[in-house]
Formats: sequence, structure tokens, C-alpha cells
Amino acid sequence: MTLQQQIRANRFRTVLVLAAFGLLIIALGGAAYALGGYGLGVLVLIVGAVYGVFAYIQSGAMVAKLTGAHPVTREEWPEVYHLIDTVSIAAGMESAPPLYVVDDPAPNAFAAGRTPAKSYVVVTTGILKAMSKRELEGVLAHEVSHIRNRDVRLMTLAAVLVGVVALVSDLLGRMLYFGGGRRRGNDGGAGWIFLVLAIVTILLAPLAAVMVQMALSRRREYLADASAAEITNDPEGLALALRRLELDDREIQNVTSATAHLYIETPLRNATGPAKLVAGLFNTHPPLAARIGVLEEAGGFRLPDTLPTAGDVEMPTGSEL
Amino acid sequence: MTAVYILIAIVVVLLVVLVWLYNRMVRLRNEVDTGWANIDVQLKRRNDLIPNIVETVKGYAAHERGTFEAVTEARAAVAGAQGPAAAGEADNLLTAALGKLFAVAEAYPDLKASENFLQLQNELSATEDKIAAARRYYNATVLRFNNSIQTFPAVLLAGMLGFTKREFFAAGEGDRALPEVSFQP
Repeated sequence: MTLQQQIRANRFRTVLVLAAFGLLIIALGGAAYALGGYGLGVLVLIVGAVYGVFAYIQSGAMVAKLTGAHPVTREEWPEVYHLIDTVSIAAGMESAPPLYVVDDPAPNAFAAGRTPAKSYVVVTTGILKAMSKRELEGVLAHEVSHIRNRDVRLMTLAAVLVGVVALVSDLLGRMLYFGGGRRRGNDGGAGWIFLVLAIVTILLAPLAAVMVQMALSRRREYLADASAAEITNDPEGLALALRRLELDDREIQNVTSATAHLYIETPLRNATGPAKLVAGLFNTHPPLAARIGVLEEAGGFRLPDTLPTAGDVEMPTGSEL
Repeated sequence: MTAVYILIAIVVVLLVVLVWLYNRMVRLRNEVDTGWANIDVQLKRRNDLIPNIVETVKGYAAHERGTFEAVTEARAAVAGAQGPAAAGEADNLLTAALGKLFAVAEAYPDLKASENFLQLQNELSATEDKIAAARRYYNATVLRFNNSIQTFPAVLLAGMLGFTKREFFAAGEGDRALPEVSFQP
């Protein structure tokens, strides 16, 4: 698959995500109608449509809010900006995306934004501490590749649309719990059918949301890795970075199932209970070991099992963050 | 009658293929042009830095005339180079001349400690990183473009439509092979 094909596929998948969102809103509207009558159903549809438009336009800013990312200036992080500048040039981007930071000791990174020009790259403070310059360059190249390959719009939209579906269905669930008994009219069989349908919809909504996330191909991570290796001409640097992520078992704090797919490695690895089950069933990322394996084969090298500590990237002091 | 339809169908298919091939070559050629413009920007930026660096070093080591001249000449050669291949060669010479200049600077502790010199040195090395990055992109686009016009069936059209092979920007050390990474697990 070439880059052009991937871009086309992403465009198609974006339409799918938007269509899935539309269907979900209609389903939720139907559920609301069954629960609270005509007015509530229409209200849900309108709110859903307004939100959809708003989320489409504001998706980049929303993801920053959801993940707790805030922008960093060139003056604050000249060294990291230099890395992302060179990586963007090598990727043939018109300009380098701005950097955002999430204050979290767990090493991770992602990119978000609706258009390449409005996209940004997010790193955690942890990844700067954990990685060498060479490794960080690989990570940044991976994220810039996501932007160039147009994965980012799809991933960002999936995040904001998935987020709201989970939210709305949760809300409806609570309404059903507290207000379901006071429904007027329609007593008898028909009413019960509506009620059951409503419950089914509410139960299905989060599942459907995860399915939307599944519209994101896991192949996108392999392609971004391959692009990054070509951009930096250093598959080993990225492989080292991935190995470091594999060895580090800290998990980023501010993660929901709505945003998990954005990150360079899955942030839900240590999930327990039902979350683990979901993470396993709807894994958004191929295993790091498999990704490292592909890079090893391409570059003709083999990584050691353990890595020395890195961290030669100049970190600004805490007050600057 | 059927024969006519078949003929029309064949012509239509051929036209579609033709348009597709043509558009692909144009797109790739535009990428090559963008890639070259990126290199050009960075080469100019470096050429703008060099006089400052030479002046700064002169302030401490005025008698190292031969080194300054070599740098100035190499700089002029980069500015005047015609085409990517020539520019690439001139660039390699300039890099070597600058290497000598900084080797000379090593012998002057006052110069090495100078804030101004350090800043210029940092800017230069940052710009050189960017030249290397722009070169990687440019050479990758040239490879794609050249492949596209030299492979069948595009090769039958490329010459007629005025698509000609483009030059690589000469690769520096350690930058020769682009890795072929497959993303299919």
C-alpha cells in the first residue's frame, strides 16, 4: 500500500466514522423518544447534530482538553522543536506542527488535529526524560507521519465522536434508571418493546463507539513506523524508542477509551477488570514487539533485551512547564 | 456493431490510464520541485550565516587567510551551482571547508569561549541538520519520480510529454541508502 492509497483509505474511513456517528445519534434519538416521548427524541437529535458539527470543527482543541495537553513555545523547548523541524522537513511537510505537552511521568506521545496545517504533536514530560535524542526523533517522525498520512484527522474525529457517544449513552442510562418509571401513556406490550429497545440501544452505544474506533486500522501504526524510518533514515532509533516504551510499564493518567487509540503505544496496557477485557477485545495497537520486529527486519539489526538509561534531551525545569 | 462498442471501450480505458499516468507524473514532479525548493531555502540560510562566522573567526585568528578563502570560495560555488548534482558537490566541498575552519578555531580558546561564536556554531549545525533532512526528502521524491517515468507503461509517454529524469542531490556520508520498510506484519 502506498502513501496515496493510505490517504484515500483514511478519507473513506473518515466518512465511515461520520456516518457511524450519525447512525448512533439517530439510534440514541430513537431511544430517547421511546423513553421520554417525541420532544426528548427531537432534542437529542438536535443536540447530537449541533455537537457533531461543533466537534468536527473544534476536534483538535477538544482532544487537547480531553488529554490535558497544552502548547509549548519554541523558546521553552528549542531542542525538541529543532528535532521536529528537521523531521518535518524530511517528511516534506509545509511547516512543522507545534508541540504540546502533557505533564505525566509515563512516556507516550500522539498527534491530533483535523487538518495537517492545524495538527499538533503531543509528548509527555515522561518521554523527554526517558529517551535519547535519537529515540525522540524516531517518535516525533512517527507522529509527523501520522499527520502526513492523514491518520490524524480520522483518529481525532474518532476520539471526539466516541467520547460523546459514551457520554450521551451514560446520560440516557441514568435517565432510564431514575425517570423510566414515570413514562406516561403507551402502557401494555408496545411500551415494553420500546423500553427494551431503549435499553438495548444504551447498552450497544459504547460497544458501537468502540467499533468506530476499530474503523482505525491497526496497519496505520505499521505504516507510520515505516514512514518514520524513511524520514529519519534510522529504523534502529525508532525501534529503540519502541523498546523503551515496551520496557516502561508506567501508564499515562488522563486516558479514556475515547482517546486511547491516539497514542504511539496503547495507554491501556495495565488495565484491569472490565477495562482490560475491552482493551484486549478492541485492541487499537499492534503489539510493540511485532512493530520492533518489522523495523529490525527492515534495518537489518537486532536490539538488545535491555537498554541503558537515556535522557540526553535538555529538559526545561518544572516551573517552565 | 459489437466491435464498435468494444473499440470505444478500449479507447476509453486507454484514455483513463493515460490521464492517470499523466497526473501521477505531474504530482511526483511537483513533489520533486517542492523538495528542491526546501533544500534551496536551507542552503541559502547557511550561506547567509557563513560571512558572520568567517568574520567572527577572523577577529581572533586573522592570519589563517587560506582557510577563510577556501570557505568563501566554496560558499560562492554553492550559491552559483547549476542543478542539484552540482549543488550537492559544491555543498560537500563547503562542508569540508567549514570543517577545517572549525578545526582552526579549536586552537583559539578565546574564540571557542565566545558567546557569539558558540551561537553561530549552533545555528550552523542546526541548519546543516535541516539540509540533511531536506536532502533525504528530495532524494526520495527524485527516486519516486524517476521510477515513475522509467517504468512501463509510463516510459512510453514520459518522453513525449516532456518528463525527463531528475538529478539527485549528491548524498553525504551515511546518507546513501534509504531503508525499505514494509509495514505489513
